[in-house]
Amino acid sequence: MSSLYNRIAVFRAERGVSRRELAEAVGVNSQTIGYLERGDYKPSLELAMKIAAHFDVPIELLFSFRPFESVADTLRRAAAAGERPQ
Amino acid sequence: MTLLEKMDRLVYATRLDHVVFMKFQPRNLRWSPLLVIVGLVAGYAVMVKAPVVTLPGFWIGWLLYYGAFLAAFLVRAFGPRFTPTARQPLDERELMIKARAHAISGMVVASCAMFGCFYMASAGAPFLWHPHTPYEWINLGFGVQAVAMLLPTLVASWLQPRLGRDQED
Repeated sequence: MSSLYNRIAVFRAERGVSRRELAEAVGVNSQTIGYLERGDYKPSLELAMKIAAHFDVPIELLFSFRPFESVADTLRRAAAAGERPQ
Repeated sequence: MTLLEKMDRLVYATRLDHVVFMKFQPRNLRWSPLLVIVGLVAGYAVMVKAPVVTLPGFWIGWLLYYGAFLAAFLVRAFGPRFTPTARQPLDERELMIKARAHAISGMVVASCAMFGCFYMASAGAPFLWHPHTPYEWINLGFGVQAVAMLLPTLVASWLQPRLGRDQED
């Protein structure tokens, strides 16, 4: 079975949302958010869409079958290309 | 301060509200349910060896057995969540863990009951123990109930990965 990667922790840190707040917003136990972030649990489509809707981003920005690029690598690549990271 | 207010303060001071309203986070208890099952079996064996109240071993066995029986309820309450509360219904992950844990433990209990029936069929054979008195049968019934409560907790504790340090509270 293929792995499902997610960036919930990154979005949560960026928006300053605690696990408990996110859990209450999407109607799950805060431990479930922890298991999701660690990749120990694959969410249902409904839960994945609820989380994406909470952060107001498309679902593919939050979940992927391929590992996400790290924030450091994104910044390094942007710097090398002479872009100002957004 | 009225008596009711004092009692209310006592409940919060002793943190009984956490138990009554299940405010605590569930934990993976890992081997604890198995230890309680071992306590049940050991307590039952001691009670069978000393079946008379006046024998010194009887009360040790009784305390061990019924202590483990009570512990079975506590282990279930503090382990992975199987019962929704008004504040927090079971989410999709907890429902999946609950279903798998009960399915696996149901198979184990059914297999044990089947082999127990085969064993009891040998009741007439010499040197093979089986319950004789109604008291032993009643205790055995309570034991089966406790094991049926503990097994799903044991299975669920191992079905879900260990909690991260930051997830425990």
